[in-house]
Amino acid sequence: MTIQKPPHDQAQSIGVGARLRSASQSLRPQRAGVVYALVLLVVILVVTTVVMGQPTYLSSTNISNILGQVAPDAILAVFMTVVLISGNFDLSVASVAALSAAIALKTIDTIGTIPAILIALAIGAIVGFANAILVQKVGVNAFIVTLGAMTAVRGVVLIVLNGESVTATSRDLVTIDEVVLSFPYWVGALVGIGLLALAVFRFRQARLSTALPLDGFFVALIIAGIVTLIISFAAPDLLAQPLPVWIMVFVTVAVSLGLRFLVPGRKLYAVGSNPEAARLSGINVNFYKMAPFVLSGLAAAAVGLIYAGRFNSVDPNALTGTELTVIAAAILGGTSLFGGAGYVGKSVLGTVILFTLSNGFNMLNLGSNYQYVVQGVVLIAASAVYTVASRSRNRRKLAEAVSAPTPAPAVEG
Amino acid sequence: MVVVSPSAPHPDTAESPTLAIRNITKIYPGGTQALRGVSLSLRAGVVHGLVGANGAGKSTLIKIIAGVERPTTGDLLWLGSSTDWRRPADAQSAGVAVVHQQSPVVPALSVLENVYLGNEGTGLWRPQDRLAEFAALCERVAFTIDPHTIVAELSVGDRQMVSILRALAQNPSLILLDEPTASISPAERAGVLGAARSRAAAGVAVVFVSHFLNEVMQICDEVSVLRDGQLVDEFDRDGMSVDRMVAGIVGDRLHDVEAIKPVHDIGDVVLDVRELRTANTDTSVSLQVRRGEIVGIAGLLGSGRTSLLRAIFGADRRAAGEVVVDGKTLSASPQAAVSGGVAFVPEDRMGQGLIGDWEIWRNTSLADSRSLSRRFRFLDVAKERLLASRARRELGIVASSIDTAVRDLSGGNAQKVVFAKWIYKTHHVLLLDEPTAGVDVAGKADLIKLIRDLAERGIGILVVLSEFEELLSLVDRVVVLRHGAIETEFSADAVSVAELTASVGGLA
Repeated sequence: MTIQKPPHDQAQSIGVGARLRSASQSLRPQRAGVVYALVLLVVILVVTTVVMGQPTYLSSTNISNILGQVAPDAILAVFMTVVLISGNFDLSVASVAALSAAIALKTIDTIGTIPAILIALAIGAIVGFANAILVQKVGVNAFIVTLGAMTAVRGVVLIVLNGESVTATSRDLVTIDEVVLSFPYWVGALVGIGLLALAVFRFRQARLSTALPLDGFFVALIIAGIVTLIISFAAPDLLAQPLPVWIMVFVTVAVSLGLRFLVPGRKLYAVGSNPEAARLSGINVNFYKMAPFVLSGLAAAAVGLIYAGRFNSVDPNALTGTELTVIAAAILGGTSLFGGAGYVGKSVLGTVILFTLSNGFNMLNLGSNYQYVVQGVVLIAASAVYTVASRSRNRRKLAEAVSAPTPAPAVEG
Repeated sequence: MVVVSPSAPHPDTAESPTLAIRNITKIYPGGTQALRGVSLSLRAGVVHGLVGANGAGKSTLIKIIAGVERPTTGDLLWLGSSTDWRRPADAQSAGVAVVHQQSPVVPALSVLENVYLGNEGTGLWRPQDRLAEFAALCERVAFTIDPHTIVAELSVGDRQMVSILRALAQNPSLILLDEPTASISPAERAGVLGAARSRAAAGVAVVFVSHFLNEVMQICDEVSVLRDGQLVDEFDRDGMSVDRMVAGIVGDRLHDVEAIKPVHDIGDVVLDVRELRTANTDTSVSLQVRRGEIVGIAGLLGSGRTSLLRAIFGADRRAAGEVVVDGKTLSASPQAAVSGGVAFVPEDRMGQGLIGDWEIWRNTSLADSRSLSRRFRFLDVAKERLLASRARRELGIVASSIDTAVRDLSGGNAQKVVFAKWIYKTHHVLLLDEPTAGVDVAGKADLIKLIRDLAERGIGILVVLSEFEELLSLVDRVVVLRHGAIETEFSADAVSVAELTASVGGLA
């Protein structure tokens, strides 16, 4: 990266305070609510477990346990967020994952591991593409199309499995799910330092008035850097995780960076925000509306393979209801159901919250009967916070406009 | 007789007016000041005309009277007592009925059901009980229609009559007609205008809002002229003339703009539209625009002006014909048009031109990701933001910074952002659909100057503008569009506003 030499009329620099003020915007509850909710939840669970004299909640074992459970749904949440940003909706992911698992386990012993995996992934892509065609080209509402796909694909699962669960003798998928990748603590330390160095670089760059003001990305760099450093020195055994967890980390980071730094990411948000304006600006709206469905189908198939490996068995009702968990996670992360807004990282945090809730219920022996009630209430409360916060911001703007009727002239000379 | 001071009591009415508007101002979030102290008296038995250019504040005033918006400051006096309508239902129950340009009717219901929609009375809906009432209603406005016809089968004009009947069925004390004739045929207009007059004769206060000044002349007893949110002129029948209305609506700005109309060079054909036919018409259009030339399209609402621009740009499907830009035939898609060097400024700038929630800088780079990105399709934010800063400086976009969301900008500034989206990338042809609608005077002058500068840089410009004075002051040549076909063509110097108006309306 290079620092842009500013032309002299832009050379005015922005003070440290002003830079931090713009960064602090991203710490407001309606922007970072999911982070606060997670922290609050963890604190409650830690305190309760200590008070009740149970094993420490934040043990490496428990965290690894949660991460392992979260990974498949988090991967789905990442791509669900991409679909939601594009202004669509995908209810078919859980059925597609189940079909992928079923097909892979049925065929792996006869045609071999690689062909079985490829067939499963191809099926996911095909279902995604069919969804895309029906929504974008035929013009049927995405909710209806993917609801239909969800039901029909689940039907195909029933047909394929003939109502029974299936098991494979090949252990290859199990190996893929269980293989542990571990990094020495100094790799984690270097990554953490690297993230903080990037944050410092960003901070210096924001001095120029032409540079992007500091925002949530800057804050995320700092938090991610500190968390990575803490893990590297305090709990280095967390750097040894099974492959699905690393896939989750990689997918989350890669998709967030792609959405933020690449042209297609910008165009995806544009298409989701205002498809007509995007189209009349020469953006290929069809592509950006359709590609997310295909990606989502592929991701669902991949998650199906992880699921198949985890249990080496799949029954006809596998993963039922997962699509709703995933959408709930994206909404907890502040993703808009109307398109054009959302961050995959926050959706992953939303997934972590949902799993931490159920994990906490188990740890505290509160009975899983209550957990759905709590999950539902948390989801609605989160949406209410986002909605009310954005409404009060609009009202504040109105008040400012009334008190200062004439717009201030441009300050820049 | 001119009422200079609107707060002075009217000499010939002792009783209080149906609705008195006292010193109303309205400031929208985002700082746009739509009304700056307007006072009006709407009296029973009087048809009050309300005229003004787009963006003059008419629609805001109507919304306030209808209870859709609340004034920022000022009072509304209904029959002499102060009111504060918080929602349309409040105004409606007080006795205000509104008919819009295209009033919503329920297409699946019958005429009778539409007329009494929301006013069905208590208990069971018995159509036969209402038939006598309906007949009386029709008689009052001298209109005949089968009450059992399904509205979906009616013409636009008849639907408009249905919404007028619906308004009358509420027995209102004040009827607000907001451009009631804009979307209907001349023959159907007579019915609407007659209805307005007959209601006034029956002692109702009528407000008539229209761009058609001849209609205003025909039926109004008094006229108020709005410009830039202020009441600039007020007169009754004695003082009424089209010239005076035009002078009030237009103000001085046209003379300023006209004075600087430059002489510029016109080059080769850059846009060649050959036998282009849109999906909904059976007539085709051929026209050419040369480099540096500004060509205007004049036509009434519904004459196919917008469809033509959209078909050239590829935004709508074409039924036949081709579009050649700079020697290359364009396939029918906005993508092909944009990469072929065509730019389009749509009429609905927030709906189609901009992404409202986005900052200025992300909007200005919307149409040119190619030259504003690095290798491997990485965004070049520094470059994008430099471009936005440059646009803000050069086009005079008033905003606290390039990080302001465009939704918070006023009409003129938002329109400048739409222009900025296109003009910094290489292009040959600029298609403009009502570029100055909803833009205040200062912004208008800026935009007109900008359009002329672009023409001087050798860009071919095709512009649709409903305000003919403005159109003629801007363009080199004007084509008249009627029912989707080019009727005739004038050199801008050789035609007057009156001649153009007559030609557009099919009178010449």
